Amino acid sequence: MKLGTSHRPRIVTLADDSPLRRADPRTKLALSLSASLAVMLPLERLIVFMGIYAILLAWSGLLEEARMQIWRLKWVLIPLFILDWLLVGPHLAVIVTLRIILLAGAFALFVRTTTPSEFRLALEWLRVPYRYAFSVSLAFQSIGLLDDEWRTIREAQRARGAWRFEWAGWRQVVSQVRHLVVLTIPAIVLTTKRAWSLTEAAYARGFDSPHRSSYRRLKMERLDWLLLTAAAIVGILLVGLAGSFWLSSIEARLAHWR
Amino acid sequence: MPPVIQARDVAFCYTQRGRGLASVSLDVHRGEAVHIAGPSGSGKSTLARCLCGLIPHLYRGNLSGMVRVDDLHTSEAPLWRLVERAGLVFQNPSAQMLTVTVEQEIIFGLENLGLRPSEIEARLESALTRFNLERFRHRSPQTLSGGEQQKLALAAITAREPPVLILDEPLSMLDSTASGELVDYLGHLARQDTAVVICEHRAEYVRAIKGLRTLFLDGSAPRPSSQVSKPAGRESAVSPFHLDVSGLTVGLGGQPVLRNLSFSAESGQVLAIVGRNGVGKTTLLRALAGLQRYEGDITVDGARPDLGLVFQNPDLQLFNPTARDEVLYQLPAPDLDRYNWLMAMLGLTRYEDTPPLLLSEGEKKRLALATTLMRGPRHGVLLDEPALGQDAAHKEMLMVLARALAESGQLVILTTHDLALAGETDRLLILGENGFVADGAPRDILRSETPWAGVGLDVPAWVVRE
Repeated sequence: MKLGTSHRPRIVTLADDSPLRRADPRTKLALSLSASLAVMLPLERLIVFMGIYAILLAWSGLLEEARMQIWRLKWVLIPLFILDWLLVGPHLAVIVTLRIILLAGAFALFVRTTTPSEFRLALEWLRVPYRYAFSVSLAFQSIGLLDDEWRTIREAQRARGAWRFEWAGWRQVVSQVRHLVVLTIPAIVLTTKRAWSLTEAAYARGFDSPHRSSYRRLKMERLDWLLLTAAAIVGILLVGLAGSFWLSSIEARLAHWR
Repeated sequence: MPPVIQARDVAFCYTQRGRGLASVSLDVHRGEAVHIAGPSGSGKSTLARCLCGLIPHLYRGNLSGMVRVDDLHTSEAPLWRLVERAGLVFQNPSAQMLTVTVEQEIIFGLENLGLRPSEIEARLESALTRFNLERFRHRSPQTLSGGEQQKLALAAITAREPPVLILDEPLSMLDSTASGELVDYLGHLARQDTAVVICEHRAEYVRAIKGLRTLFLDGSAPRPSSQVSKPAGRESAVSPFHLDVSGLTVGLGGQPVLRNLSFSAESGQVLAIVGRNGVGKTTLLRALAGLQRYEGDITVDGARPDLGLVFQNPDLQLFNPTARDEVLYQLPAPDLDRYNWLMAMLGLTRYEDTPPLLLSEGEKKRLALATTLMRGPRHGVLLDEPALGQDAAHKEMLMVLARALAESGQLVILTTHDLALAGETDRLLILGENGFVADGAPRDILRSETPWAGVGLDVPAWVVRE
């Protein structure tokens, strides 16, 4: 196990310099959901879409963030790519890998430019009841803290001489796995306690009040309409005008490659 | 004028944990400050929850008696109306942060009051100014120090302007300066016609509030033993040693926390390290226990020390089905004499077959200590805030145990905000931003003003007198 190098809570920091930070959370939600739906496109159109999406990421200053997200997935992507190639063929290997990369990129775009409270407002606009929208936004902001808590638990266990998964032969596998399982108990206890503390804190500040007001209201600006119009045009082109010259040309090249 | 809180023969028994609070009656008027005192397990936190309506609305159990807040019965009125009248600040500030910025944390409670945006704006600005939090308004609450988080928790509740403010162990995580400031503010609130109810172990600080009334809750939890024989087992054979720390430097998240720290300690000592919240006390213990990457040297007679660390939060270290399994975990040939001695010493014998998760916080803390001591670290133990949330009897027991370990030749290093506890050790070190600013006999250091002023800590007069 690595020694702890950081004990500061990991907070998801916002890309404050990104022009997308100023966009309405509904716009960003729509863009991210569109990108997630685009995974259903056939390979040729998926490649075109990813090119356009990369331009959007570059414009919003999040290309590096997306690259890091994809890099973190390398231990999933590489074996999956090899396995798909060997079992089915290069076409499936490429399309599955690109789909995962696209989903990772869509996640990066939303997380780095939207606060949990903006996310909650977007969900409320979608008619999600306040109590559920609030719970989802709370879970959204707790991801970094859970990671931190898990690391602290491992260190605390190490201080007790536990959390040492050492190979001691096949006969010891069951007992070693059992030790690993019991070590998850503190994680469950802490997560449950944290959830309960947050519930108490929310109710102590009137979470169940039927007379809630909203300090901040969502407002669509010109940037939002521009982004949504551009997204709609891309969608129509990719879905509706599949037979256009340039797309046919790419499809022909890929068919030749296959 | 009728009391703003009226409690008559209130008792509560939790469905899962059993008894929470024995029968209590209490009246609190506007402009009055009441201190709820009592040993661990006497029901202070349960009473706080009864007074603001969280019990019976969020907790399952048997509630008897009657509580009225303003003109509302807690068992009849909806919870949101009760918490408009009685605001509760919880013990652990970081666990009650609901949003990602300081500003939103305050806004959350104001939105739930149904206020207009202009009114929210006005109250937000006023709260930020009053608690000196303007410069943090866009920061994440999780990046603030313990004292700052406690201020924010208080700002978020007081911005709702409840006529009653209830605080559950508000000082337990604060250093002496932050504790003094908080108590001053609570006194100010009481003078401004707010009813203030403070459930707190550290009575010495709370007493500074003028006109304070104290209600003592009697607990039936077993008292720890203060009589102890020499520890059984391997400590008896420890030969004298020196712990040497030189040039210790630790960075966290890219920020330097400990810089070029050097000190040495001898076996047979009980050392206390004090300092402001966030100065690096826990980081130092983690480095000594070998859990933290560092630059510099930490050695005992030229080799790495074997020091067991007991964490602040006992839940991190407990995971077995019974207290016995917990203490004997992964010990192939446990020394049962030592086990029996430890369990008796720490008042845990009656809980041998109890699942650790059902123990009280204080009992869990003692069990975590027992697991570390049973493992028998060769050179001693490191205790991170061992007095946190413990009553006077348990603190006394802790010092008796520390003394017994030291007399058997081990080294005990503890970090604490409790200056009275630090005063009972053999040696006191004050950790500041740039290293240790004082090191010596606790009695001398507590009487000296210079080092404390240098690190922004106050020594209350009662600590020096004692």
